[in-house]
Amino acid sequence: MLSRSAQGVYWMARYLARAGYLSRLLELQVQFLVDRSVEEIHFGWKRIYRCMKRLPPPGEEFLPETEEFALADAFTLADDLTFERSNPDSVWSAVASGRENARQMRHCISGEMWTCLNAAWLRIRDLEAVDVWRTPEVFYARTRSEIHNFVGVADATMYRGAAWRFMRLGRAIERAQLAVSLLLAQIELSRLTERRTLGWASMLRTHHALEAYGRVHGIEMKPDRVLDLLVADPSLPGSVLATVQAAAAELEGLGGGPGVDADAAARRLAGRAEALILYDWPEASEPEELLERVSQSARDLHEAVLGAFVDYAIEDSPLR
Amino acid sequence: MDFSLYDFDPAICDEMFVAEGEPRDHCQAVVEALGALPDDDLNTIQERVTRSFSQEGITFTVYGDEEAEERIIPIDCVPRLLALAEWRELEAGLVQRIRTLNLFLADVYGDCRVVRDGVIPADVILGCPQYRVAMRGVSVPNDVWVTICGTDIVRTHEGFMVLEDNLRVPSGVSYMIANRKAVKAGLRRLYRRSRVQDVEQYGSLLRQTLCELSPGGRPDPCLALLTPGTWNSAFYEHMFLAHEIGAELVEGQDLLVNDGFVYMRTTSGLKRVDVIYRRVDDDFLDPLVFREDSLLGVPGLMNAFKRGNVALANAPGTGVADDKSVYAYVPDMVRYYLAEEPLLQNVETRLCRRPEDLEYTLDNLERLVVKRVGESGGYGMLVGPHSTPEERDEYAKTLRADPADFISQPTLALSRSPCLIEGHAEPRHVDLRPFVLTGNETRIVPGAFCRVALRRGSLVVNSSQGGGGKDLWVVDL
Repeated sequence: MLSRSAQGVYWMARYLARAGYLSRLLELQVQFLVDRSVEEIHFGWKRIYRCMKRLPPPGEEFLPETEEFALADAFTLADDLTFERSNPDSVWSAVASGRENARQMRHCISGEMWTCLNAAWLRIRDLEAVDVWRTPEVFYARTRSEIHNFVGVADATMYRGAAWRFMRLGRAIERAQLAVSLLLAQIELSRLTERRTLGWASMLRTHHALEAYGRVHGIEMKPDRVLDLLVADPSLPGSVLATVQAAAAELEGLGGGPGVDADAAARRLAGRAEALILYDWPEASEPEELLERVSQSARDLHEAVLGAFVDYAIEDSPLR
Repeated sequence: MDFSLYDFDPAICDEMFVAEGEPRDHCQAVVEALGALPDDDLNTIQERVTRSFSQEGITFTVYGDEEAEERIIPIDCVPRLLALAEWRELEAGLVQRIRTLNLFLADVYGDCRVVRDGVIPADVILGCPQYRVAMRGVSVPNDVWVTICGTDIVRTHEGFMVLEDNLRVPSGVSYMIANRKAVKAGLRRLYRRSRVQDVEQYGSLLRQTLCELSPGGRPDPCLALLTPGTWNSAFYEHMFLAHEIGAELVEGQDLLVNDGFVYMRTTSGLKRVDVIYRRVDDDFLDPLVFREDSLLGVPGLMNAFKRGNVALANAPGTGVADDKSVYAYVPDMVRYYLAEEPLLQNVETRLCRRPEDLEYTLDNLERLVVKRVGESGGYGMLVGPHSTPEERDEYAKTLRADPADFISQPTLALSRSPCLIEGHAEPRHVDLRPFVLTGNETRIVPGAFCRVALRRGSLVVNSSQGGGGKDLWVVDL
């Protein structure tokens, strides 16, 4: 497969995974506005902004903790994360970038995938803001559902070649990075509050893990158990372990890349992240520190993948 | 669709009617069927067709000051019909013409007999900006210089005429296929009953044709379609065709030349490329030979091509044969190379480089269409009957300053075909661009990108100038 096409498909998947994840976070956050305490609402905003490594519009993380602010300015924050064009990670920008990559690489994906994504994009592009803010949770749920739909259509229609693997690799790396980033934000913010359980239930809901948690641990919300489930349960598709394992599997399926050193590094990084969770996590006294290491591995993995398959030195490559 | 108010004009050839209320024989059934269709139904079909283009992203990109805008070429859902017998007549003419043009190109970059024998003046060729010195003495696979040709054909009461041969990087074929798919879906029963000739095999024919150029007959050659990039207005077509023919869609940055061979950078290493369907103009193909500031091409590509290690379709330098001045000599070329009479006529063309033609052109500006030799897409053109005296005066000054850069032609009454305009059947001027493929043999799918001047009275069909598209049905009725 052409290296530039592989890169395009990889980025398409990353952007769409980002748009889907952020839509889910915002879907829950705007639901909070209806009946949750000001403290919980603020906690949610801070967690989202930390996860996305972005400062809220005033340019600082401090948010006045008053009810008026929580309700009146919620849409300023939501708009910044949803429609702000200058924010490359906003839902709008991420869907636009994912769709643009798909447009450029549509010969590498199935026609059904393209039509599905393009229809979603045309809907979002032509929306009137006033209609969105009337029922924002509907907008986020629909956007998320359209991205899930796209993934499902890909699953049903896409040829299982290199493009398929690069798409899955991009999705897995993006999800791993976002999940670790959100967990780190949750742990850091939890330390600053006296309510130990604040935010953990919504962590489960973000990752569609509330039912799974209930089945395994019952109804009592214990942060360390939630953390265990979200980090190390291989059966939960959004857990850090599951996403890291998915990335490792796609890398394995791709075989060796022509950038030999980077290829070896990529396999090492994926293996290391997986080993950290499988073997070090159960006994980790500093979960934050371990998650930082996993996060670093996921970031390095991205660079190594590009070095192995896209930006390799010509002299490394055999001529075919 | 009510044809009773259709504005038939006996002075202008109509594609559907021979006289008021009297359809051509092969259009009878379609006129009846469309006539029985309620306006609302046809409007719904039209909307569905337009929506399908938007949803499938069948667009061309226009770059404004701020951001790129994806636009769709407006498509009219009422098909233009051609009888199979008429098509056969046209097809024979196209085959004759492409044979001639390939012979001309081999000659003009070889012995140049055509000049020595006085058929074409040397200055017409050497003065042509598309003549490539770098191609002198070069031989091309199977002597095929023009692998893909898109010939613009118009029709008047006198019959079919060639308006322009597009021999460089002709575009529009993807719209032929997309129009067909959309209109077929909208007019299912009518399509089935009309015994329309299929065009959807174009991709496989193109692939077969390109494979025949494989250097040294290498089996299962690796094909690549070279695009200028995603910002190019025809990018959709490049992507579409790459997909249709199973080629990698590459940009210059994806290719490199090593030891006289062309390779592309893939995820499993460098892979040799055998045939490049290039959609990049000559000027930008190879910065070592043509424009040195080109970032779109591949350094060393021409060297690999001249050594016969890679085939380029179309070959560089083919533009000399579709130059608007050289065009005037094509009928003479047919007689010279094939010893046959041309089956397809040219539009009468005056070369302003000749003093008598310049004088005639200046005296008759209000009746003529004047074009710049090097321009295409409807740019730099004066349509005399639609111009103001001030515009003509201004144009005359430019013309006198550099007469060799202009040609003039009579304003043709291009044929018209019914279109659905605001819910009614109205005539609009049309042309058609069939695509001629040449490898070991010449292949033409029975269809064309039919262009429509959607503005009332306009003769300009170019999509960049407000033109739209139509599906052309070659019917066996």
